[in-house]
Amino acid sequence: MKILATYNIKGGVGKTASAVNLAHVAAGRGNRVLLWDLDPQGAATFYFRVKPKVKGGGEALLSGRRELADVIKGSDYDNLDIVPADFSYRHLDLMLDDAKKPLARLRKVLSGVADEYDYVFLDCAPSISLTSESVFRAADALLVPVIPTTLSIRTFDQLDAFVAENPDIVRKLKIMGFFSMADSRKRLHRELMDELREQRPELLPSQVPMDTDIERMGVHRQPVTAMFPKSRPARAYQSLWDDIVERL
Amino acid sequence: MSEFHRFVVDGIIDPAVTLAAFAEQVGLSENEAEEFDRRFFDTPDGRLHADQSTLEVRNSVEFPLMCSLVWLKGGQVLASARVESGFSPDFAGSLPAGPAFDRLRELVEMRRFLPVATVRSRLSTGGHLDAEEKTTARVHIDLPSLPDGRSLPALIEVRAVRGYEAETAGLLRAMRAHEAFEPSDLSTADFARAMVGASPYLPGKLSLQLDDRASADEVWRVVLRELHEAMTANFRGTVEDVDSEYLHDFRVAVRRTRSVLQEGRGVLTPAARDHFRDGFKWLGDITTPTRDADVHLLDYPNMIAALSPEYAEALAPLHELLLSRQRSCQAQLALDLRSTRRAQLGAEWAEFLSGEGPWMDRSSGESGDAAEADRRARDVAAERIERAHSRLVRDGRTIDGSSEPEALHDLRKDAKRLRYLLECFGSLFPAEDLSVAVKPLKSLQDVLGEFQDTEVQAHALAQFGRQLDTEGASTDTILAMGGAIEQLSVRQSRARREFAARFESFDSREVEHAYASITGTGTTKSKKRKKKNR
Repeated sequence: MKILATYNIKGGVGKTASAVNLAHVAAGRGNRVLLWDLDPQGAATFYFRVKPKVKGGGEALLSGRRELADVIKGSDYDNLDIVPADFSYRHLDLMLDDAKKPLARLRKVLSGVADEYDYVFLDCAPSISLTSESVFRAADALLVPVIPTTLSIRTFDQLDAFVAENPDIVRKLKIMGFFSMADSRKRLHRELMDELREQRPELLPSQVPMDTDIERMGVHRQPVTAMFPKSRPARAYQSLWDDIVERL
Repeated sequence: MSEFHRFVVDGIIDPAVTLAAFAEQVGLSENEAEEFDRRFFDTPDGRLHADQSTLEVRNSVEFPLMCSLVWLKGGQVLASARVESGFSPDFAGSLPAGPAFDRLRELVEMRRFLPVATVRSRLSTGGHLDAEEKTTARVHIDLPSLPDGRSLPALIEVRAVRGYEAETAGLLRAMRAHEAFEPSDLSTADFARAMVGASPYLPGKLSLQLDDRASADEVWRVVLRELHEAMTANFRGTVEDVDSEYLHDFRVAVRRTRSVLQEGRGVLTPAARDHFRDGFKWLGDITTPTRDADVHLLDYPNMIAALSPEYAEALAPLHELLLSRQRSCQAQLALDLRSTRRAQLGAEWAEFLSGEGPWMDRSSGESGDAAEADRRARDVAAERIERAHSRLVRDGRTIDGSSEPEALHDLRKDAKRLRYLLECFGSLFPAEDLSVAVKPLKSLQDVLGEFQDTEVQAHALAQFGRQLDTEGASTDTILAMGGAIEQLSVRQSRARREFAARFESFDSREVEHAYASITGTGTTKSKKRKKKNR
């Protein structure tokens, strides 16, 4: 079981859309996939029409009072299951702080379903906190969507700095950055992407375009890869998944 | 796997009408029905059937070029891929790449896919939705017919989406209450097979349920007949080389027969016993070259995987040689199996087994032996097991790091003898003891098998290497074969190292108790000897 976390310190960069669509693509390729919506806002949960409620909340899961397997909900798609968001996740930092070995906690909770899934996607809330550190420890790779804007790139640098300063936390974590919400009509986007690809050749080759089809996910409450599988963004997510598998 | 329920739609009304009315009654969302020609595949021993899954090549009737390979279980698609129209899977290697089909590859191993049923189905998929329009249950409706137009039972299948079992309960109540719906374990493929009178799948394991009050004469007869059936069931597939497992299972049946004959002293007449032991030894021997060739080919992917990619590529001439050897060995085997000698052995054996009278002549001078035939089979088998177990323990304890490889090879034979006895006569004894007795024995056999197989393969590879060298193979090929032999040597050394721990598990008190319980020999000489040795 590989654990992949869509993560960025900054919000609104396409983390949830990436988690939802990549999970759907991975499941469509025959992998058994679990998506855990760790963001208390519950956008991924909403897209899959699941109620954002976990019995006993995040505390029950982290303390081991409730098995992760007991709160999993099937999606409308074969091989793709969801652990819904819960409003209590806003206190995840405090819960982890109270737990023994907080950094190892998330991985331990996930180990209970290790035989059931090939890939787990963690859709994380934007921040650097105890929760995100626990995610770093649990995950095999961080999928980092980066909007080609100065501010977004700056947060990528911050993540880099954190990784460099905390080798004990990140351990063997692979960082996979990719351009998200890229608008090739904008000169600034094009220039920044060229510049950054030169500076960071390790960025994934595929990029997810800015596209209204992605915004329609909220209306249709479906992944764009399910709604419009031949669309430009759907093809981008499919290609992005190929890149990720190759790097894994 | 989520909760899954299947119902046959019965009654005098057209099933399509019944299903449409039901869908409306319970508010199912339903997709438009599509017609498909479906060819189902399974292995000769029905591994998918046993797994409660199905593999089918599905062609859209409306768009004949739209063709998919679909692996389904409990109403859920486990794997699917577009394939060329007319595609038929044969071996695991012909399945599309990817993790989902990898799981199917693990299930079928070396067995060949055979077509088991063909149907035309009108399929529709619906859902039971909650207030958020989230699917809480998937509903599949199948209106199938055979290619000749005969209808098969219409099916409605419901799979509760994980986490929504409670929401599905109402739907299931309505289905159970419906007078036209009957719960069913059978799939469309099962119904189609039954309708055309398809042969049953080959049995995977011996399914003997012996009467522990019966005499040795009766039980030996039952066991040998069962083994004869296994031989017969695998004969044609062996001759036609459908897949390597036919020969494997054929050989196992022959070896078990030889073993049961060997243990049948006093149960069969010496003349019959000797005659058939000779006959089955010959039958076993003629299958050995082909089995060895099969093993080389089956192990080839492991051999390649252990080498660096450039060496793996250089081994292509070896693969060709192995294929060619397998073909020639198989051709000879087919001739031998169709020979007069084999036919005569088969006819004599069938006649011998069909006789109803006692095997031993009570009036002859063999009265002591005849008494053996009349004893309870359980007692006779227990003595044989006790003897085989004691021998294995005694010989195993003499093996240490300095023992010659032959000592391990001989021990493998001891282990096989005991295993066959447990497999053939095990049902005469308590299942819980049997389980404790067999598990460590199997584990010991695995390591002994690995030790011997790697040695035999290394010798064979060295011989193939010399042959390829004289035929002008490249230096890379010869080097790669050296690498492969080296890998086999590493595996053999590992097996040798693992032997001590495996034997220790087998020679434990818990296992000894299980054997003592099976054989009822808590105070036998052997037991005393074992105590003394400790």
